Amino acid sequence: MFELLFKYPLGLFSKGQLVLLASWPAWILPLCVAVVAALLGMALVRRGTHWGKLRAMTIWLLESALAAVVLIMLWQPALSVATLKPQQNIVAVVVDDSRSMALVEDGETRSAQLLKTLRGGLLDKLQKKFQVRLYRMGGEVQRFDKLESLTAAQSATRIGATLKQVVAEAGSLPIGAVVLMSDGGDNSGGIDLQTISEIRRHRIPVHTIGYGKEKFAHDVEISDVITPSRALADSRLSAVVTLHQRGYENQKARITLRDGQKTLATQEIKLKTDGAMQTETLLFNAGAAGARNLTITVDPLQGEENVKNNSVMRLVHVTDAKPRVLYIEGEPRWEFKFIRRAIELDKSLDLVTMLRTTQNKIYRQGIANPKELEDGFPVKVEELFAYSGLIIGSVEASYFSTAQQELIRQFVDRRGGGVLFLGGKDSLADGGYANSPMAEMMPVVLPNHKGTFLREPANPELTAAGRDSLVARIDDNPERNVERWKKLPFLMNFQEPGTPKPGAVVLAEMMAQGKKMPLLITQNYGRGRSAVFATAGSWRWQMQMPKEDMSHEMFWQQMLRWLVAGAPGHVVAGTPKQLLTDETQTPLRAEVRDRNYLPASDAVVEARIMGPEGISSTVPLEPDPLTPGVYTATYSAEKPGAYMGEVIVKRNGVEEGKDVVMFRREDGVAENFHAEQNRELLEKLSSETGGRYYKPADVSKLSEEISYSEAGITTRETKDLWNMPFVFFLLVALRSAEWLLRRKWGAV
Amino acid sequence: MNRRVMLSVIVTGLFVWTSAYAFQRGFGRSRGPFGDYGEVPTPSDANDKTEWAFARLRYPQWGSRGGGGGYGRRRESWTTDYPKADRQFVQGVRRLTRLSTKSIEQVIDPESVELFNWPWVYAVEVGHWDLTDAQCKNLREYLDRGGFLMVDDFHGTQEWEVFMASMVRVFPELNQGAGTRAIVELENKDAIFHIIYDLDDRFQVPGTVNYPFTKTYEYDGYEAKWRGIYDDKHRLMVAICHNMDLGDAWEWADSPNYPEKYTSLAYRIGINYIVYSMTH
Repeated sequence: MFELLFKYPLGLFSKGQLVLLASWPAWILPLCVAVVAALLGMALVRRGTHWGKLRAMTIWLLESALAAVVLIMLWQPALSVATLKPQQNIVAVVVDDSRSMALVEDGETRSAQLLKTLRGGLLDKLQKKFQVRLYRMGGEVQRFDKLESLTAAQSATRIGATLKQVVAEAGSLPIGAVVLMSDGGDNSGGIDLQTISEIRRHRIPVHTIGYGKEKFAHDVEISDVITPSRALADSRLSAVVTLHQRGYENQKARITLRDGQKTLATQEIKLKTDGAMQTETLLFNAGAAGARNLTITVDPLQGEENVKNNSVMRLVHVTDAKPRVLYIEGEPRWEFKFIRRAIELDKSLDLVTMLRTTQNKIYRQGIANPKELEDGFPVKVEELFAYSGLIIGSVEASYFSTAQQELIRQFVDRRGGGVLFLGGKDSLADGGYANSPMAEMMPVVLPNHKGTFLREPANPELTAAGRDSLVARIDDNPERNVERWKKLPFLMNFQEPGTPKPGAVVLAEMMAQGKKMPLLITQNYGRGRSAVFATAGSWRWQMQMPKEDMSHEMFWQQMLRWLVAGAPGHVVAGTPKQLLTDETQTPLRAEVRDRNYLPASDAVVEARIMGPEGISSTVPLEPDPLTPGVYTATYSAEKPGAYMGEVIVKRNGVEEGKDVVMFRREDGVAENFHAEQNRELLEKLSSETGGRYYKPADVSKLSEEISYSEAGITTRETKDLWNMPFVFFLLVALRSAEWLLRRKWGAV
Repeated sequence: MNRRVMLSVIVTGLFVWTSAYAFQRGFGRSRGPFGDYGEVPTPSDANDKTEWAFARLRYPQWGSRGGGGGYGRRRESWTTDYPKADRQFVQGVRRLTRLSTKSIEQVIDPESVELFNWPWVYAVEVGHWDLTDAQCKNLREYLDRGGFLMVDDFHGTQEWEVFMASMVRVFPELNQGAGTRAIVELENKDAIFHIIYDLDDRFQVPGTVNYPFTKTYEYDGYEAKWRGIYDDKHRLMVAICHNMDLGDAWEWADSPNYPEKYTSLAYRIGINYIVYSMTH
């Protein structure tokens, strides 16, 4: 329709430049239009009519418009457009040959549909005008000649890398345009801005032809699973599974988490609305120390079009480390006893306590040797930083020296430890913490008055954030967890904690004396974390519930594990690409701190990596010039399988620490995900480069429009506009409108 | 009125008169050299809420429940030294430790839910107790959840047997020989004897009946026995002070007639036991 009215395709108008071919200067045109309009107006006034002003004005506008169109046409408007010279330019046809193109839709594969497009005339038409180069896009970019050689078996789709290569060839070849035939399922991290700007610099339009359904009718896909990369033995972990589905709204599905063949957790879920992201949390036990190869699967549903996107893998390194937590308590309290008893059941935590039994006596428990804490609360950095977590009970702030207070702050900020403040008669605001350096790292702004600790009952309740948090999980099942919290006995006492700071998270609240206030508040501070538990009365959860009930024990074990979970050692090794899906390069990173947890830039760091089929190599990590204490390297995983590396740090020839890094290369996985046509990506790529997106059915226009390009070897063509049918229709329409109006108003 | 009837009337009259007199004097008052100390005043801060209170177990008297359990009308053993011992002892606890302590005692029934709000409980003269089955079950649950029971002031073989008659119903495993639970002699190295005070050198603490303390034992309880029952994690859940009377030592701490060395040891033992129960 557009072409019928305007003679040329739309793309031409967007690429072309409007020019006036008449030899008269262009500035005369608006002048003439103005003069003619003025003369018409004067004539209308002189003639005089019985019409009102509005009607006269309408007639004048129509006459003026008609005159303006005629005048414009006299100046011979035309489009000047760059056009590829026939047979002198190359058109790169990039064909997606990845595994996702083998998906069968409407009885044939995407690859077959693509071949049908090429063989249906597109290739011939292009070859008549241009030299055509065929590229196969997959894990690697390859040129090919015979369409029969397409297999749709490549393990990945790298649109960005492919375009980069084509553009690089444009430096020496007259590439006039790129035709990208794909489902847009890029899984190499997208197309970077650098590639886009390089294409734009060469002015190469990328025309895209999209294949595959934009939306599956029946599919469930796991988008992501978040698990901690490392964990303590026997700790309870969460796997946060994000998934979406189409065609199964409100139906039930089952998520299962396995380590090899062993099922660690399973959960029935109700699927949400079509296309909506849904997040589910599975809790599982980390088990004994060692590597966990976790597979998270949504059981295939009946009629699913793609079941290969129902599973993902994750790695967890379970360590046998036993972090130590120091608990200082200022007075004998039941909370102290029952926290100790709860943690005694946890084999992965060491709780060291110091209790001020009398004014001058400290009773120590859980110490490693008689010397530990012999002189009271640590005053040296290396003594305090040897712990991963710290609990401060009913101890007034002034009990700590100024240096110790700053040390505690540094314990969180620099060392990355966790500090938990408990309620009590000498705690929080009543303990004078508001004016200490420790106030800065607390997750609350403390009240500015005393008398905040009351031995009155308080009823705990979970917040929305608490329902999703592992800290407050006393039951694996989220619904049962909420119910169990509702059934918890009241707390024996409470303390007004103040106002949560921005960024703090309130996991539990309490109802006390008719007021609701935060009970458990957490936040990250520096490299570590801090929390306030505004009571010393949770021991009733133990004494008022049957001995078989483990709510109290689980709460405190989870609480202390959270406290130490993020506390790093002197060496922290890792990789941002733990799972290499059809990739080989994995960056390695190690953060090295000295005994005082200051960045160590003088270390020698190397990773000893063991891989599948006996792969063994040593990779030196080099200091990052921008970040002190950080060492990096890139490792190439040559074969698919699991890799484990021991990162060893030496200073002055002496080993100072080590850590383990794990990663896995999985081939043929990436193509199973995001298998729906990514039309958005293809359209964006086209519009950013001056090309167009086509459906396979509309591809006949491509062979015409592709000629208009400023890349390659071009010539400028001039396309007359005066003889567009639209102009004729416009003139007729203007004159007819005037005549009809005059007739209606009685002037004809 | 023949002689037999007259004798009966006199005996009955005497019984009624002495009972009425005893009742009028109330519980917990001693006589003799540890004479009448009058009403024990209620401290002004008696209603203050604290972390810990001297929880006294109000158990049924041996022989008073006719096989079914219950509380008798006459002075009962659970009230022995009550309330002066309790109130005098907590003053020491307040002065010598950092423990937030209630100034008056808290009386607790062994079958009550309230028991679970007081994880340390004291039972006196348990050589005269006779717990019901329900009480035994409740007490066992209390101890398994983390409660602590301290028993004191019972002497000799016979009172031990009465004590055990209820204890084996609290802990049926005690009857099973080398079962999971056993009453054991506490070793000197146990934390309970060192937690605040080092109490390696302990001796028998006598009751006031031993005045003037030429001997310190009662019946055949010649030797003080420091016993206990541990849980699976080797934490004491029941501390048994047999053949001694710590309660009297607390009660008469202010009396010049009661030797200071006994009071001093009794306070130290009591304080160690409390703090142990709050740390283990």
